[in-house]
Amino acid sequence: MIRRIKIGSVVKHAFLVLVCVASLYPIWFILQTSLKTNAAYELSPLGLPIHSTASNYLQVIRSMAVPRWAWNSLIVTLISATLSTAIALPAGYAFVFGRFRGRSTLFNSNVAFMVIPPVVLLAPIFTVMVNVHLINRLPSVIIFYVGLFLPFSVFFITNFMRTIPVELLEAARMDGLSPFGTLRLIVAPLTSPALFTLMLVNIIYGWNELLIALVFLQDDKSRTLMAGLSVFQGRYVTQQPLVMAGSFLSIVPILLLYAFGQRFFVKGLTAGIGK
Amino acid sequence: MGPAVHTTVDRTIVAPSPPVKGRRSRGDSWPYVFILPMVVCLGLVFAYPLITVIRNSFYSTSMGETTFSGLENYRSLFQDPVFMTSLFNSLKLLAVVPVVTVVAMTIALMLYEGTKGWRAYRLMVFVPYIIPATAIGISFSYLLQQNGILNITLRGLSLDFLALDWIGNSNIVLFSIGGVLVWTQLGFGVVVFTASLLSLPRELSEAAAIDGATRWQTNRLVVLPQVRGTVEFFLVLQAIQVIAWTFPYVYVLTHGGPGNASSVMDLYVWRYAFQYSSPGLSSAAAVVLLLISGVLIAIYTRLRAKQGER
Amino acid sequence: MQVNHIWRSKRRLAFASAAAVFVLILGACSGSSDQGSQASGDPYTGSLTYWFWGESDVPGSTAWMQAAVSRYEGLHPGIHIELVPQATQTLQGAFQTAAQAKTGPDIAMQWATLPVLTPVWRGQVAPLTGLIPESELSQWLNTQENTYQDKVWAMPLYLLGVPFVWNKELFEKAGLDSTHGPQTWDEFLADCAKLKAAGITPITVGDKEGAFGSWFQSVVGTQTLDSIEELQAVYAGKADFSDPKYSGYLTRLAELKDKGYLSSDVASVEATQAWQNFAQGKGAMTWATDGNVAAWVKQGLGSKFGVGKTPLVGTGKLAQYYDATQSISAFITSWSAEKAQAAAFLTWLHTPENLTSWYTTTGAFPADKRFDPSVVKDPVMAQLYKLDTLPNQLWAENYAPPQVDDQGLRTVAQALLAGSTSASDATSQIAGIIKAWQTQQPDDFKTYAKWAEG
Repeated sequence: MIRRIKIGSVVKHAFLVLVCVASLYPIWFILQTSLKTNAAYELSPLGLPIHSTASNYLQVIRSMAVPRWAWNSLIVTLISATLSTAIALPAGYAFVFGRFRGRSTLFNSNVAFMVIPPVVLLAPIFTVMVNVHLINRLPSVIIFYVGLFLPFSVFFITNFMRTIPVELLEAARMDGLSPFGTLRLIVAPLTSPALFTLMLVNIIYGWNELLIALVFLQDDKSRTLMAGLSVFQGRYVTQQPLVMAGSFLSIVPILLLYAFGQRFFVKGLTAGIGK
Repeated sequence: MGPAVHTTVDRTIVAPSPPVKGRRSRGDSWPYVFILPMVVCLGLVFAYPLITVIRNSFYSTSMGETTFSGLENYRSLFQDPVFMTSLFNSLKLLAVVPVVTVVAMTIALMLYEGTKGWRAYRLMVFVPYIIPATAIGISFSYLLQQNGILNITLRGLSLDFLALDWIGNSNIVLFSIGGVLVWTQLGFGVVVFTASLLSLPRELSEAAAIDGATRWQTNRLVVLPQVRGTVEFFLVLQAIQVIAWTFPYVYVLTHGGPGNASSVMDLYVWRYAFQYSSPGLSSAAAVVLLLISGVLIAIYTRLRAKQGER
Repeated sequence: MQVNHIWRSKRRLAFASAAAVFVLILGACSGSSDQGSQASGDPYTGSLTYWFWGESDVPGSTAWMQAAVSRYEGLHPGIHIELVPQATQTLQGAFQTAAQAKTGPDIAMQWATLPVLTPVWRGQVAPLTGLIPESELSQWLNTQENTYQDKVWAMPLYLLGVPFVWNKELFEKAGLDSTHGPQTWDEFLADCAKLKAAGITPITVGDKEGAFGSWFQSVVGTQTLDSIEELQAVYAGKADFSDPKYSGYLTRLAELKDKGYLSSDVASVEATQAWQNFAQGKGAMTWATDGNVAAWVKQGLGSKFGVGKTPLVGTGKLAQYYDATQSISAFITSWSAEKAQAAAFLTWLHTPENLTSWYTTTGAFPADKRFDPSVVKDPVMAQLYKLDTLPNQLWAENYAPPQVDDQGLRTVAQALLAGSTSASDATSQIAGIIKAWQTQQPDDFKTYAKWAEG
C-alpha cells in the first residue's frame, strides 16, 4: 500500500497547529513571564527564561492578600455551585415529572433569565445587600451567584431528566415511594453525570466571575481572586512577572479541572445536539 | 464566560413535555415544594431587580428625595455622548459573531473530516474559553502595549506597519477587544459545531461523494444545511455574549479607555451606578440593554420553536 | 430497605455538613465586621480599615505605611489596622461604591480639595476638627486645601511638588544646555524638535490611567489665569470653558501630540511605567513628582536629572506659581464606628519620629511644620524642597469637581492623546461635561458655587 501524504492534509494540519498555538500562546506567555525576574523580563520579554525562578510565586503566596483572595473564591464558588445544583435538582424533577400551575410560564421565564446580563441586576441587589449589611461579606456574593447559576442549572437538569424512562418512576410509585423518595433514591443517582457536569460549569463560572465580586466585596479581607487580581495589577504595574505569577495561579485550578473533567465539559456543552 | 456556556444547543425541548401520564391525581402539592427554593431565588435575584431597575429608570434623585421624572433619564441618556459611544461600541462588537462562527465552522469541518488527532486539537482550542477573563485581560494588556510583545514580534518580522497601538489608539482599541473576544469564543464554537457535525448521518455525505461532489461542494450543499439550526443558535448566543457579557475584558484591558473609546454597555451601566453616582442614568441604560437582550432572546426563542417543528 | 436507610443517613450527613460549613463561613465572615460595633471609648482599642493611596506619588510609601501600621500595633496591642492599597484608576470610584454601602474604610484617602470636599458635602466625612486638637492641626501644612466652614476635614501626609524634569545626558547629546530646562514654550518646542532630530523621545509620559490630561491643565493651562477663582468660576457656571483662556492648553497638548514629541506609547502605558522608562533614559523630559525623583535619587541617578518649574506659557499671575500640593489627604469616614481610634492613629503619623522616618525612607517631604529641612542633604531634593516651600503654590486639579476631572479633564484629554479627538472637539466635550455635572449633581453644584464665592 502506498501511503500518499496529501498536500492538503499537510496544509490542514499546519493551519490547525497554528490555531492551537495562537490559542495557547498567551497562556504560555503568562507562565513564561512569571518565571522570570524583573530584570530578566526587561532584557528579554519574549524569550524563554534562562534561569527559571519561583521567586515571583513565593512573593505572591507570601503576600497576605492573594492566598486570602483565592480562599474566598474557593468558598464562594463551591458553596454557590453546590447550593445552585441542589436547588435545581428538585426543580428539574418537578418540571419533568410533575404538574403544577404556571409550569410553562416558569420554565419559559427561566429560559429567558439565562441570558439576562448580570450588570442589569447589580444595582438593586446591591441596595438590598447594603440594607441587610451583607456588603463585604461573602454571603452577599454567594446569594447572587446561586440565583445567577440557577436558570442554566434548571434548564440543564431538566434536559437531562427527560432521558429517564418513565417506567422506573412508575415502578417506584408502585413500591409506595413518595416523590421525594423517588427523587432521592432513583432520579438523583441517575442524574449524577449531569450533576457533575453542572457543578463543573458552575464552578468555572463562579471562579471566573469579576463584576459582582468587584462591587460587593471591596475589602481585601473579603475580596475574591479575580477582583483581587485586577487590584493586584494596579499595585504592581511595573512588576509584570509578579502580576503574571498571580494571574497564572488563578488559572491553575481551572486548568486542573479541565484536565480532569474535559470529557464532561464537552458532553455537557453539547448535550442534546443531534439525536 | 457568559450565557454561551449556559445554554446548550438543544433541539428537542420547546416547552416542558406534558407530565408523565397517570402519575398522581390532580392537586399534587409536591411540585410546589420542589420548585419553591428555585422560585424564591429567582424572585430575589431576577424578578425583584428587574422590576426595580425598570422602575428606577423613571425616577431621579435630588436633595435626597426621589421623584418621578418620566422619560427624563432616557432623554439625558441619549444626549450623553459616552452612552452613545458605549451603545455603538456594543453594536460594533457584533462583528465578532460572524467571524467566530465562520472560523469555528471551518475548523470544525476540518476536524470532522476525520483528521488525525482531532480530539487533541479540539482540546487545545477550547482552553481560552474557560480561562478567567481577568487573567486573559491582564496578559493581553501587556501583550498589546505599543512596545509590548506583539509589536516587538511584528517589528522583528519587519512588519512594522502592523505594529499599531492596539489599546492606546482610540480608533483601534475596539478592534483589539474584538480580537480578544474572537480568541476566547473560538473554542466554544469549535466544540459545538464539531459535536453537531459528528451527529449527522454519514450516508448523505457519502452519497454525494459517490456522485462525484468535491469535498467543498459536499460541505456547502449537503453538510452545512443540516447544521443550520445549530449555527443559528450559536449566532444568537454569541450576539448576546458580545452585547452584554464583555465587562471583565474591557475593564481589565482598557477600563473603557482611552477616553471612553472602548466603553461598552455593561461597563457604562456599572460605571454610572457605582462610580459616578447617577442611578437614574444607570437604570435607564440597563433598561436599554435589557431591551436589546430581549430582542435577541426573542429571536432565540423563535428559533427554538422553529427547531421543534423540524 | 436497609439501603434506603444508609442512603438516607448519608444524605442527611451530607446536608448537615454542608449546612455546618455554611454557618461556619457566615460566622467567619461576620467576625471581622462585628468588631467595629464593640468600639469602646478607648482610642487604643479597636479595629480599623485604612484605604491607602500613595505609591504613584511616592514609590515606597505603601511599604512605609505598612511598617508604620505594624509599629503602631506594636505600641498599642489593642488596635488592629488593615491597610488596603488603592489603585489610581479606581480610587474615587471605589470610595463612591463604599459610600453608598456605608461600609468599608474607617480611614479613606482622596485627592485634596474637591475630591475631599465632595464627600464632605455629601455627608460622608467626619471633620477632624473636634477629633484632633487644634494644636496638632495647626502644625500640619496646607490644611487650607481641605478647610470648609472653618473645619479641617482631612489630613495631609506629604507635600508634593510636580517638577519639570529633564535628562541632562540626553540634553547634551542633542546639543542642548543641560544646566536648565526650557524657560518658555517656544524654547520648549525648539528643544523637543532638536531632541527628536537626534533620535531621542522628547517627552515621556504615561496616560493609561488618564491623569496626565488633568496634570497638563494644572501645569500649563492655568498659566493664563490670574487667580484660581477664575477657574472656579468656570465650574460654578459663571464662565465658559470654551474661552481659550481656560481651554487653550488643549491646543498645546494637541500640538505636542501632533508634532510627535510625546512618547509613542503614551496612551497604552501607565504613569508609573512611563516614569520607569524615563529613569532608564528612554525619554528626555517629563513631569514627575517629588516622590519619584526621590526614588531616582536613591537609585543613584540624581545627578542625571535636572528639576525645575514648568516652562512659562502664559502671562497670568498664576504662571509664577509652582505646582505643589499635599496631593492626597486622609480623612475619617462618617460611618466609621472607630472615629477616636482613627484620629489617634492619624495624629500619631505626624509624630517627629514618623516624620523623620518618612523622609528617610521615601525621600518625600512630610507636610508638617515640625519637619526639619536641614536633613535634606541631596542637592536635587533640596532644590525641590525650596520650590515646594515657595510662597505661591497651587495645584489646579484640586479645584475640579471629581466627576468633571474624571470624565472631562482626564478622559477627554486621553481621547485627544489617543488620536481620536481634536483640540476643539475636546474643548466642547469638556464644556459639555461641566454642564452635565451641573445638571446631574445639582446639590454638589449649588454647594460648589457657594463655596467658590466664600
